[in-house]
Amino acid sequence: MNPKTAKITPSSNSITTPDAASAVSGAVTGVGSHSPAAIKGMLAPALERLDGILLGKRHAIELSLTCMLAKGHLLIEDLPGMGKTLLSHALAKVLGLDYQRIQFTSDVLPADIIGVSIFDKDTGSFRFVEGPVFSQLVLADEINRATPKSQSALLEAMEERQVTVDGVRMALPAPFFVIATQNPTTQLGTFALPESQLDRFLMRIELGYPDPAAERELLQGGDRRRLLDDLDCVLDQAALQTLQNATAKVVVSDQLVEYVQRLVHFTRTDPKFAIGLSPRGALALVGAARAWALVHGRSHVVPEDVQAVLPSVVEHRLRGASDFAGHGGAALSQRLLASVDVV
Amino acid sequence: MALNASKTLSGVDYQIPRNVLALLMLAQVVVVLPHVAQLSPWIVGVCLFCGYWRAMVYQGRWAYPPGFVKALLVIAAVAGTALSGKGAFSVETASSLLVLAFALKLIEMKTRRDAYLVIFLSYFVIATEFLFSQSMGVAIYEVLACVMVTAAMIGLNQLQTNVRPLASLRLAGALLGQALPLTLVLFLFFPRIAPLWNVPLASGATSGISDRVTPGDIADLAQSDEIAFRVVFDGAVPQPEDMYWRGVVYNEFSEGTWSEGKPGRRVRSDLLVPEHDRGEAISYRVLQEPTFASYLFALATPVVADRNIELRSNFTLLADNPLMSMMHYDVKSYPDFRRELGQERPRLASMPVGDDNPRVREWAARVGRETGSPSEFADRILDEIRNRFVYTLKPPRLPRENSIDAFWFDTSTGFCSHFAGAFVYMMRAAGYEARMVGGYQGGEQNPISKHVVVRQYDAHAWAEVWTQGSGWVRVDPTAAVAPERIRRGLNAALTEEDRSSLSAFTNARLGGYGGIDELMFMFDSVQHGWNMWVVGYDTDLQMEYLTGLFGERPSAMQIGIAILLGGLGSLAVAGVVLFLRRPARPRDPLVNAFFRFAGAAEARGLVREPWESPMAFVRRVSVHHQLPQNDVDAAIAGLEQQLYAGQPKSTADNGAKARKALLRTLRRLRWRTTLRA
Repeated sequence: MNPKTAKITPSSNSITTPDAASAVSGAVTGVGSHSPAAIKGMLAPALERLDGILLGKRHAIELSLTCMLAKGHLLIEDLPGMGKTLLSHALAKVLGLDYQRIQFTSDVLPADIIGVSIFDKDTGSFRFVEGPVFSQLVLADEINRATPKSQSALLEAMEERQVTVDGVRMALPAPFFVIATQNPTTQLGTFALPESQLDRFLMRIELGYPDPAAERELLQGGDRRRLLDDLDCVLDQAALQTLQNATAKVVVSDQLVEYVQRLVHFTRTDPKFAIGLSPRGALALVGAARAWALVHGRSHVVPEDVQAVLPSVVEHRLRGASDFAGHGGAALSQRLLASVDVV
Repeated sequence: MALNASKTLSGVDYQIPRNVLALLMLAQVVVVLPHVAQLSPWIVGVCLFCGYWRAMVYQGRWAYPPGFVKALLVIAAVAGTALSGKGAFSVETASSLLVLAFALKLIEMKTRRDAYLVIFLSYFVIATEFLFSQSMGVAIYEVLACVMVTAAMIGLNQLQTNVRPLASLRLAGALLGQALPLTLVLFLFFPRIAPLWNVPLASGATSGISDRVTPGDIADLAQSDEIAFRVVFDGAVPQPEDMYWRGVVYNEFSEGTWSEGKPGRRVRSDLLVPEHDRGEAISYRVLQEPTFASYLFALATPVVADRNIELRSNFTLLADNPLMSMMHYDVKSYPDFRRELGQERPRLASMPVGDDNPRVREWAARVGRETGSPSEFADRILDEIRNRFVYTLKPPRLPRENSIDAFWFDTSTGFCSHFAGAFVYMMRAAGYEARMVGGYQGGEQNPISKHVVVRQYDAHAWAEVWTQGSGWVRVDPTAAVAPERIRRGLNAALTEEDRSSLSAFTNARLGGYGGIDELMFMFDSVQHGWNMWVVGYDTDLQMEYLTGLFGERPSAMQIGIAILLGGLGSLAVAGVVLFLRRPARPRDPLVNAFFRFAGAAEARGLVREPWESPMAFVRRVSVHHQLPQNDVDAAIAGLEQQLYAGQPKSTADNGAKARKALLRTLRRLRWRTTLRA
């Protein structure tokens, strides 16, 4: 579990006893055509497999899956060697998406990402060679090592899910996800992502060091890369589509909207916050909470869902009033959760 | 600047942010402004120059002054203050020095610490203004100045990128507002401690009645509608023609000027006014505006219990110290008491009438012989005045020599001091004991707060004649020539010509222009209230009030406890206000029921954290108190269902069911904990 969220976020499973949960789920007709229990069943094998690859990171795995269900892009920030790339690869394989990886360096150019028109001698015309962005899952590795120019080449792709080359708009495949990893910005040779670009990521998660038990298992176990190759696809694209549709139908009550509004209002008025959450940030929070609720087998969002996803969704969008450059935000999100009343 | 920068430790020269600097300098202007009246003009110049210098420093055009320049400035400032203070160290000198230091601080205000120093000095300068005036206007102004300074301090604590002057002002106002209850408590209960040391106040120009009268002075006073004093009578207010406020007794006359001569000796009041002869008393409290003189005013034959006030053998009251600020004193006057010559006799006997005014002396001696008794002679003079004289505020000028001759035989016009002076002179020339008395006559009753206001234009002079058997008797020659002046005040006696010489404002007050009158009475009664209950709230009044409150004279311990309780009380007031101002939320019955549950749980030691959802909290409480599983599950499921699962409103009974389950759990909780207890 992410150490930063462990303080406040209660594990959402502990709220309702099995009896109560079934009492709830029994009362509703389910999300779309599938009952919450069925959806949980659909997700269980994927979670299990991911858990087997990235040991002891259940919370991070659930968050990243949540992000996929909410159709959001994911930013994974941590030190090198913590399993960022591993998690991205594993997600792609488990979800059965075709994926490409772009290794960002300081000399990567936009054309390296989007593609380039080359002259075909045989036909005597220009032919567009698609870049790595034309795939369902793009792994943008170490995105903050690229120059701002190349970073922003991804912008249009992420937001509009299309790219424009030589004045021609080309749609990207659906579904389209970007999972970017980045090193902490304090490291050498990095270009911090600007606010506008950070905002495009639904979530930013950190992995953190594994706990001792998980690390022992990791050291005793086999090669993680080989395990990755053996990974099979447990969720096809149709299933993913179903899940995404179900996410949109998760119920958000007035009571919960009020809670989210109070949270957002607090970030805009509390003097500790330099900038408040934008409406897009608020939408992201509700969307992510919906997906989280679905992952945990609920057809409606409870405050604990909001609290569980809140650090990953808002921290990279906030800035402390005493912090001129950073987007640390962990203390801010803790303050936010601790100050705003649920009811 | 570069040199400065390299000197600082961090290598970065701290600049006080622009907005804060502006707010600070504005606050300084606001704080110094009321002092300007007391300051020499050159000090004001220094203040302005320092402000200009600091602005130039901010723009980077000028540098901060080097050390030796600052030293020179300080020495020059001290020397200048000493010179303009003429060597005497008074409060005015001290405040001049303070303001100068305050202004000079501007040009070495570099760091945050300097800015704080300026802020604290500002509070101090605000406090010192009350040495000079304690009027309501000044108090209101200084409260606003406090808000301003506090706002500057708030601004100093804001991020440079986020300075919001208006918001700071609002916040400062709110902060001071929150301090108000505690201020009231301290005002009411905190002991008035006598000053540890005394700095003499500089003697300003005295105002009102002075120790010498040249006929003409009182006409100057008639130009002024300033308030001399206010009087609150315990019982009925006497008729205006009976209200002769005695202040000064003038015994000596030379070269056209009446003067006090040697003031009467201080006498114990129970010896001068023996209790068995006193008769009916009129009691009242006088609230006198500062005059920078010691004269106090009272109706005839006053007795005062205050130890700081002396009764003189000529039956006037004198304060031990000149009145630098508002003073109030309680007087009992005995109008029927017969005032005897007593120790005054030898002084009056040796009083020569002088050798000028031969015509009047000759007339007085002749008529005095014809009449034979003082009262008959006095009547003759009054008859003369009544028939031959004209009352006006603008009489022709009299010569210094033989002025009474000129008045009596040539000009035949004048006002109170002319008549009184001539009357006393003639009485004395005929060999009778007489003296002139200065003070105020009449007064206007405020219809709202019922007190009597005596203004400078009520200043008056009259005579007292001593006769065997009746003692000192008041004779007012003005009453003979202008009886309306005595009965209905100055206004009634004024001619058109007189009136044109008065200011428009005085005329408005005298003329009684309906609506304005009412407004002025209102304003006056507010000021009077302020003087009575705020400025006048001294040790005596405090003791009186506290004795009323405690039922006995309170001990130091009781006062201490009262302050403590009051402090806690004012905190409670702030708490209640905060509680009432928390955002109101429309709550559905289920949420209300949950809050009842939470309140009950809190009373039993489990406090709900803000982030805890209702379901999680009920679960935690039930686990802790081991409540029955069935009820709890039903309550939790109901809460989640109703609050979050978005049940359509048509199934409202479902909400009632959830509420019932929750309330059942609540009963279980109460029951369980009661059993355990």
